[in-house]
Amino acid sequence: MDYQMDAVFDEESKCWSVSISGEVDIFNSADMKKSLTALINEKNTDMVLDCKFLDYIDSTALGALVGVLKNVRSYGGSIHLRNVKPSLSKLFKITNLDKVFIMEGDVND
Amino acid sequence: MTNLASEQECIQLSLPLNAAYVSAARLTASSVANRMGFGTDEIEDIKAAVSEACIFIIKKLPALQKSNFLIQFHMRKNVLSINIQTQGALANDSDEMSLVMIKALMDRLDIENDKDNTTISMAKSHKTELF
Repeated sequence: MDYQMDAVFDEESKCWSVSISGEVDIFNSADMKKSLTALINEKNTDMVLDCKFLDYIDSTALGALVGVLKNVRSYGGSIHLRNVKPSLSKLFKITNLDKVFIMEGDVND
Repeated sequence: MTNLASEQECIQLSLPLNAAYVSAARLTASSVANRMGFGTDEIEDIKAAVSEACIFIIKKLPALQKSNFLIQFHMRKNVLSINIQTQGALANDSDEMSLVMIKALMDRLDIENDKDNTTISMAKSHKTELF
């Protein structure tokens, strides 16, 4: 099980548009954090994460996203999470992280 | 063929204290819960809870990377009980994000500590069988 990431800089909205698919867990969450942080360090903007094809995240992945968010916020930006599946949205709610990230357009499983 | 285990059955999994194998625990949890007839949402809850318990142990026991830990899935009618046992005493930090998540996802969570072992026990009932 692994994850894939596809990132492009949206010149129109001036933000990173990143699609994440697969599973992010304790084994690869540090790698995801490193990749997202590299993007933010390259261009200090908002980030939109499309989670339509993200099947699983665990607490270490949530922690990694919070770490990236701290970096984004240091530049005055924010992270938008789009199309988060209900089973994953539930994890954001349990940990109150749904109030920290900007959640947009949850999808049904 | 019935979906629910008529008598108590048990599956045991012994995994290295290595993050690479948490997905194996998750897949087994998914398979067992599906076999018992849990719904899709409940299966996702059980998968996540098992994964978080593994994370809790792996993060707390970095010094014992060469040892294994044991996961037992006890299937009895409408209840799936899962015990995760490891050598070494772990601090029971109730604010730990993994434990917060397990408490929310499962019906029961207990952590037993002694000087030699730690056991994380959790259970979830098949909701459709309760009423």
